[in-house]
Order: sequence, then structure tokens, then C-alpha cells
Amino acid sequence: MREFVTTFETLFNNAIFYYALFVMGSYVILTLLSAIEMNGYMKKNSYVNYREILVSPLAPSVSILAPAYNEEATIIENIRSLLSLHYGNYEVIIINDGSKDNTFQRMFDYYQLEKVDFAVDYQIKCNEIRGVYKSKLPSFSKLTVVDKVNGGKSDALNAGINVSAKDLILCIDVDCIVQEDAILKLAKPYLEEKYQVIATGGVVRIANSCVVEDGKLVEVNMPKNLWPRFQVLEYIRAFLMGRMAWSRLNGLLIISGAMGLFDKNTVIKVGGYDHTTVGEDMELVVRMRRYMYEQDRRFKVVYIPDPLCWTEAPTDLQILGRQRNRWTRGTIETLWMHKDLFFNPRYGVLGMLSYPYWFFFEWLAPIIEFLGISVFIMLALMGNINWEFSAILIGMVYFFSIALSTVAVLFEEMSYQQYTKGGDLVKLLLAAFLEPLFYHPLTVYWAIRGNIDKFTGKNNWGAMTRKGFKGNNASATTEQTIT
Amino acid sequence: MNFFETIINYIKETYTDRLVYFPSNIRVSLLIILFCAIAVLELYIYIAFRRLHQASQNRELKNWKEHIDNMLANLIIFDESEETDDIVAHFYPKMKKLPLRNSVVNKVLISEMLTYHRNFTGQIQEVLSILYRKLGLDKKSKRKINNKNWEIKIEGIREANEMRITEMADEIIKYTDDENALLRMEAQAAYIKLSEKDPFHFLDRAQERILDWHQVVLFEIITKNKQLTIPPFSKWLRSPNDTVVMLCLKLVDHFMQFDAADEVERLLKHHNPRIVKKSVEIIGKLELSDAEKNMFEVYFDQPEDIKLEILNSIGKISSGNYNDFLASRIYSPDIKVKREAFYAIKRDPNNGEDKLREIYKQTTLENQAIINHVLDNRIKS
Amino acid sequence: MSKILIAEDEVLMLKALEFKLKKDGYQVDVASDGRQAMEKVKSNTYDLILTDIMMPFVGGMEILSYIKNDPIKKSTPVLLISAVGLENVVLEGFHLGADDFIYKPFNLNELSVRIKRYIKQNVF
Repeated sequence: MREFVTTFETLFNNAIFYYALFVMGSYVILTLLSAIEMNGYMKKNSYVNYREILVSPLAPSVSILAPAYNEEATIIENIRSLLSLHYGNYEVIIINDGSKDNTFQRMFDYYQLEKVDFAVDYQIKCNEIRGVYKSKLPSFSKLTVVDKVNGGKSDALNAGINVSAKDLILCIDVDCIVQEDAILKLAKPYLEEKYQVIATGGVVRIANSCVVEDGKLVEVNMPKNLWPRFQVLEYIRAFLMGRMAWSRLNGLLIISGAMGLFDKNTVIKVGGYDHTTVGEDMELVVRMRRYMYEQDRRFKVVYIPDPLCWTEAPTDLQILGRQRNRWTRGTIETLWMHKDLFFNPRYGVLGMLSYPYWFFFEWLAPIIEFLGISVFIMLALMGNINWEFSAILIGMVYFFSIALSTVAVLFEEMSYQQYTKGGDLVKLLLAAFLEPLFYHPLTVYWAIRGNIDKFTGKNNWGAMTRKGFKGNNASATTEQTIT
Repeated sequence: MNFFETIINYIKETYTDRLVYFPSNIRVSLLIILFCAIAVLELYIYIAFRRLHQASQNRELKNWKEHIDNMLANLIIFDESEETDDIVAHFYPKMKKLPLRNSVVNKVLISEMLTYHRNFTGQIQEVLSILYRKLGLDKKSKRKINNKNWEIKIEGIREANEMRITEMADEIIKYTDDENALLRMEAQAAYIKLSEKDPFHFLDRAQERILDWHQVVLFEIITKNKQLTIPPFSKWLRSPNDTVVMLCLKLVDHFMQFDAADEVERLLKHHNPRIVKKSVEIIGKLELSDAEKNMFEVYFDQPEDIKLEILNSIGKISSGNYNDFLASRIYSPDIKVKREAFYAIKRDPNNGEDKLREIYKQTTLENQAIINHVLDNRIKS
Repeated sequence: MSKILIAEDEVLMLKALEFKLKKDGYQVDVASDGRQAMEKVKSNTYDLILTDIMMPFVGGMEILSYIKNDPIKKSTPVLLISAVGLENVVLEGFHLGADDFIYKPFNLNELSVRIKRYIKQNVF
């Protein structure tokens, strides 16, 4: 028995070692790819003058779709800032998703709305639209308000798509802070790629502790609270490194729910957002990609690394945990719905690279980590552990993760340099040292909880989730899906 | 103190004497730790130095900017009663004194001169152009154009373009069909402005695609530039390069070139659906009623978006020849087709709106809703 | 002496306009973004306001609509500077009560004549 445990321990150490090597290797490759892509983008972009798209009648037309659910406190301001974006041909469609508070009345009064005889063409199924409203005032002619029966975020977006009269749709969270040139930057890829662009996604940045006036970002600050600060680091890593690399491979799976510009016709052809999953933003992109492969069409999903959208990150651990729990469930649901993609060569990069990566890294990695730690504790309790070797193995992972975060900070430094105050860098460095110890274990824990919730049928593969998200749990809407 | 010493000793021994005795995976781990630690340290040193360097550069830039800003702002507000030569004679010696070899000064001066040249019209432009040449900056631009780096080439082309150094057109034409899309576009944009004989010559030889984005830029330049002689763009509508055809269609549309009618009609049979769609749009906008029949004949073979465009154009021409056709389309299973047909009927100059109200009385509920939608002028599409 | 506010985010242009109008003998106040401009408009009275349409934070249109909706300040002439030639922008500007549009590129001397005219008109 003793012998067996010893062999097991050696095996276990080796397994951890090779698994870590594999994961780290993948990260190194992704980092290199993102460096290439980032360099190319920055070089190219410094020669671009966006004024031409702004004034051109040839620029694509855009509908902004913003679902609102119980947003009475901020809705007027939010709409005002959406109406003042820099772009020529666009409209703003606010979808009141059956709010229980005064959201609709506020809009109705302030913007002097009146009902128009809009015959909605239900190209995508969605809950009943009670009315379409326009403002009586000419200065708000860009605004359309859709009043509908509650059905959740996906359903609201689908309703917005049915009302949209433009070629592209920009799906956003109504309460995030949108940079004025966001549409310009997101729309440009539609004009310059050789292949059809079906979606472009933007970066989401964290607005905690930043100064915001009149719905616009005035000053960027490092969050004072430690939890959002970890998220800053996490977001820089994910958005500047991870997604940039996937964009290089043309394998980007996720466009954040907080901001994404889509080709409307393609979205309609694939049937719009799926309201049975809590990971609707990821699921839509997967479905659109899959559709394009099935049609044998060449296409691209483009990613714009400029900071275009700022959002308040949860500071409360409970809310943060719930958010991550939901992301995990969303990932599982999307992976399950498209399980036939797994290493399916018919779907090119999507099947052979993106999907497996999401399967192994986003879904399986926290589970493996959790199991690894459990086995480690078990072995330790049996008094059968080589503490030095284990410490060295853990040290390797720890130092690697710090190095990775540091490279991410370097990326930020060499590109957008949002955090300019002297102390900010030191704070980020400190966060990089603390993150693997304090923050990372929590994310693993939340991911495990997400898995447990998913598989114990606390919410089945079906409609139940939606209720959990919108119907029963109103406070969930104050968070937003970011990844 | 002792504690730290123990740790340092441990690390030292681990990496020296003991290293060879570890199993290979632990040894590799140790090396990775070492590598990462050094990398992190170096990255932070690098970032710190980068910040310091940036700060000192910014300080220098700020000082020079302030100085040059004031000098040029004074130049700009010179009285119009003064002779151009006098203004030049007054400011040239001052500008000559600037250390133009300093790359920061050079950059700031050029960019500010370009900015003012771009934003103001009148005598100021002339003064700036003369000073640009007198300071020898045009020669520097030429050298940049022939640099082997594409970024520098673009810089040079932009300078020549903004400062209207027309003799540079011959240097630039060679890049108008370059593989590098950005360079190609800059060259085309500059060539239109600089070539005095034949500003659209590059369209004859364009084999590379003119991306939609470049079309936006070129369209802006061509339509906003009042000095440009506009050729008949139908000349290029037979180009084998679809993107050239597309750009020229947009220009035919903008300048309302009716003499292109036959060529546009011919394009209804083009293999590229985008070109077909644009042609249909132009036929409607220019109300080319001769092409209406042809357009109707291709209708049934088209994808939905072109069908909608054809209905729209028939509505715009509103010759009345296809009233029955429009009336039949309101029973199409496709709501978008119905809606477009109703819009087309609404455009009928003989009381289209009344016609819709007439249809309203005897049609399906769905159609009634769509008619209301179409009649509601508050909804813009 | 007549008092003019210039709001323009391009520092160079702001400087040139400031120098020019000072030379023409006006008292000149400047704002390099829309927020600053809004604050100044709210706390001062001007004889004329010259503002760019596109500025960070607060656009020229918003400043325009604030002035034209204020019972006292309503009569202040507002000239909009714009590179945007889009018809709907111009229309929106006139709808909100803009007195004139200046398109970049423009002739500084012509601008100075126009300003003189608007200020004279307002005196009588």
C-alpha cells in the first residue's frame, strides 16, 4: 500500500508537471500571437483617420440595441450619452423589457414619446412587442423605444433586431460607458476586410474609481478596492492578450455582451440570440461561425483592442461570485449545445482549435485544478508528500502566472497606457503577486460551484435558467456578462 | 536576519550543488522559476525606463511645441493687406533659426504647418507652401516617399499631398497599385489631388482591390474637392476590377451622370451582386425609366436584398408601367417585399397615399398593419 | 469691448483663433473641450460664441441647445465650426437655432468679418 501511494505520488507530480507545461506552453504561444497582432494593429491604426467614415454617406448604417430592465435611475442619462456618439448614420433602439419600475414612464416623459404605427416583422421569435415609440422632438429623431413583455436580455435584443432598420446592430448594455468613437472603430472592419465580416467586438474596461461626468469618462483611475483591481489585471490579460491572439487565428469565440457589432442579416439567418442559455453572447458567435462554415463562406470575426466600453465591475464578492457562476454555466451550455464541433475538421479553426481550447481551458481547467488540489490535500493528510518538490512545482506555476501578468501590463503600457499615475504601475504589480494567492482560488471555487449548479439540475438545460437570470432574480440584471 | 539568510542559502544551494540531483521535472521547474523571476524583474526595469524616457521626451516636446505654436499662430493672423512675399520675408528668418535637424522640432513644425494648411483657406495656404519649400522641407518629403519603409513612405506622401507639391505626382503613381493596402490608398488619394494632367489615371491600371474603406476616403476627396475636373465615370464601368466598377458607380450616383445610363443598365447582368444592387439603386435614383423594363426582367432571379432594391427603384421611377406588378407583390409571403411594394405604391405621384388607403379597405389584417406603418411618416427607414 | 468665447478641441486651431480675435480687438475666452465650454457658458455672458461641433465630453450642439433654451442667453449669436458636411447635422444645427455655420477649411479673414457683423447686429 505504502509503495502504491509513493508511486502514485510520483505519477501525480509528473501529471501536474506535464499538464502545467502544456498550459503554460499554450499561453506562451497565445502571448506571442497577440504580440504580433497587437503590433500590426497599432502600426496600421496610427495611419487611420476616422473622420472620413464619420462624414461619409457610404458608411454602413448602425442600430444601437440596448435592453433596459428596471433602469429608472439612470436611463435618461444613458440614452443621452448614446445619442451623442460620433457617427453619421445610426439610430438608438431602447428595448424596455417589461420593467417593473418607472423606466418606461421616465423615457416617455423626458423624450416626449408617442406611439407610431410600426408593423413589426417578427423575423426572429420574441415576446410580444406592445408598442414602438418615437420622440416628438426633432433633436431626438435618432431614438426609438420598444416596449415589450418581459423575456430576458436575449429576448429583448431579438425584439430590437426585429425593429432595426439598419445594416449593422450594436448590442450593448445600457449602463456601460461608451466611448464616443466606438461605432467608428467597430464599423471600420466591415469596410476593409476582403472577406465578409460577421461581427466585431470591443474591449471592456473597468470603470471603478474612474471619474465619470455626464455619462462620459473623464479620468481613468486604478480601482481603490482590491477586488476590482484584480479584475483590471484579469481583463487586461483577457482582452489585450487572449482575444487579440484568437483574433489573429480568426478563432475568436466570444464577443462581450457589453459591446459587439454584428451583421444584422447573418444574425437573423441564424435565428438571433438564444434565450435558453445564460451565455447568450458566446453562443451567438459560435452559432454564427458555425453557420458560415456550413454555408461554405469565408468570413471573419474581428476584434478591436481599443478601450471603447467601460463598465462597473462588482466589488461585492457575492455578486462577483454569482457573475462567475453564470459565466461558467454559460460556457457549459454553449459547449454542450455545440458538442458536435469538438475536433470536427469540417468547422476549421472553430472545430479544431477554438472549441477544444474552450473545452480544455475554460471549462476543464478549473475542474482539474480543483481535483489536483484535492488529491494533494489527501496525500498530505496521509503524510505522503514530498513537500519540497510540491513547493517547487507550485512555485513554477506561481512565477509563471506573475510573468504572464507582467507581460500583460507591458502590453497595456506599450499600447493604450490608460493608467498613467505613478503609483498605478506599482499597484498592478502588487496585484499580480497577490492574484494567484487570493483571487485565483476564488475564481476556481466559483467555477466549481457553477459546474455543480449546472449538473445538479439546479437549472436544467432549458428554460429554467432564464427565469433564474431575469424572472426571479431581479438583482442579477445589475450585473452584466462581460467575457 | 537569520531567517532571510537561511532562505538565501537554500535558494543558492538549490540552484548550484543540489540542482543535478533533482528529478528532471523538478529541475525544469526550477529553471522555469528562475527564468520567470528574471523576466519579471527585467520587464519592470524596462517599463520604468520607458516611462522616464517618455517623460523627458514629453518635456522637450512641450517646450518646442509652445514655441512653434506661438510662432505659427502669429504667422496665421498676419494682415491680408500685406504682400505674400513680405510675410514670407518676415517669418522665414525666424523659422530658419529653428534647429530643424532635431527630429522633434522637425516633426512638430511639419505637423503644425500641415494642420494650418488643412484648416484655413486663402493667402495663408500660399504663405505656408512657400515657406515649406524655402525651408527645404519638400525635399525631405521626397526622400521620405522613396524610403523603403512603408510607414515613412506614407508620411512623405501625406506631406506632399497636403502641401500640394504637384511635381511629386510622378513619384507617387508607382505606389497606387502597391500590395500594401494602406500605402496604395494614400498614394491614390494623393495622386488625385496632385496630378494636374490626369488625376484618375490610376484607375486604368488598378489591379489591386480598392477596399470599401478606401472607396470611402477616395469618394470624400473626389466629391469635396471643388478644383477637380470630374470625368465621366462610365469610362471605367467595364473595368475587370470589380472594386473600380463599384467606386465609379458610387461616383456616377453622386454626380448624377446620366450619360452612364446604358452602361449602368448593362451592369444589371453583372456577376457581382453588389454591383447589380448598386446599379438598381442608381436606376431608381436617376429615374432612368428606359432601364425599368430590364430591371423588372431580372427581378425574379435576384436574392431578397436586390429584389427590395428593385421595388424601391420602381417606386422612385413611378412610371406607372408596373403598377400591376407592385399590386401583386403585396401578397408576397415575404413581409419585407410587401412593405417595399407598399412604399413603392406610396410614391406614385397620382395620389399614392390614397391608393394605399383604397387597398386598406379590402386587404388582409397583416397588410393593413403594414399600410399603417408605411403611411406613418414618423417612422423613417 | 465685446466678449467672445471660443470652444475648440484642436489646440492649434484654438490658438490661431484666439490670436486672430484678440488682434481684432475682442476680449477672448477659450475652452479646449466641451465641458469647460459649458461651464463658462453657464457662468458668464458673451457677445458671441464660436464653437466646434465635435469636442470631447460635450458637443457643440449641446452648448448651442443650452444657450438657445435659456431665456436670457438666447440672443447670443452662436457660430458652429464643423468639418462635417452632412446635411442632417447642418439641419439639426439650424433647427436648434444656430446663427451660422463655418466649414473647415475656412478663411480667417472672412470669419473675422462675419463675427464683426453678428456682433454689430446684436448691439442694435
